[in-house]
Amino acid sequence: MGLADEEAAAKVFHAFYEALDDLIQSKPLTKMESIWLHAAHVSSAHPFGGWARGWDEVWATWQEGAAVFNCYKGHAERSEPIGGIHDLKVSVCGDIAIGTSIYKSTLYMSEGPIALKVNCTNIVQRDQGAWKIIHHHTDQAPPDWQAAIGRMVQRGHS
Amino acid sequence: MPGPESPPGRVGSDAGGFRLSNNAKEFRVEAWGYWTPEVISAFRRLSPVAARKLSALGAFVFDAKELKPQGIDGQEALRELFRMMAALPFTKGSVFAENALARMQLTRLVRDAGLAERVGFE
Repeated sequence: MGLADEEAAAKVFHAFYEALDDLIQSKPLTKMESIWLHAAHVSSAHPFGGWARGWDEVWATWQEGAAVFNCYKGHAERSEPIGGIHDLKVSVCGDIAIGTSIYKSTLYMSEGPIALKVNCTNIVQRDQGAWKIIHHHTDQAPPDWQAAIGRMVQRGHS
Repeated sequence: MPGPESPPGRVGSDAGGFRLSNNAKEFRVEAWGYWTPEVISAFRRLSPVAARKLSALGAFVFDAKELKPQGIDGQEALRELFRMMAALPFTKGSVFAENALARMQLTRLVRDAGLAERVGFE
């Protein structure tokens, strides 16, 4: 039961970052939308921006993230994922599981590649037998990374 | 929701709302939080009326320091205002935004409205 729960939760944490990769690569947001519990107690904080609390706010940040990265074309010719998690540790406590990990990514901009390495915490809740994300928190990205993303949005292309 | 306890010109709640102030010299929008459908509806109704009072010598100030990224309907309300501002004469436009993701959203909406050359981000 314990190990099976840990493995099931870990699968969801990895799936979450696959959904994030889809979002950055302008693929449909269906995976990201379905992996979350759509409830008032969910929350998120990304490498840029502040807290989003409640599903409406959380979903707005993912939609905006998709809009931001809609102009990113640095992976158009690449097959490797943009990023992924490392050193994942999962702790299960009843119907809640906490995953701590390190997210690493590389974006290929016209001004050169930019790498990101941040600590992240994700929490899932078992809802009707399925683990769903209820919390996502990532360290704030360094200012130069945020500035590079801001410049991409301003000029409308990566 | 507007209520009798709200300060003049303030629409919404602490969780999300806006305040419009205008005179011949300045049209100022202060926006914060995440907007409910009621706040969005009020913004769509009130902001064009306030914007039209701005003279060609006036400034457009959008204080979004406490604004969160908005959903589709909230974005549409902001887009409508920015499109309207693009058709109005004013001397200077300024947007203040501290939430980085909200700032990117506003950058995108301002750019799409054709206002990027006339509005600076502070």
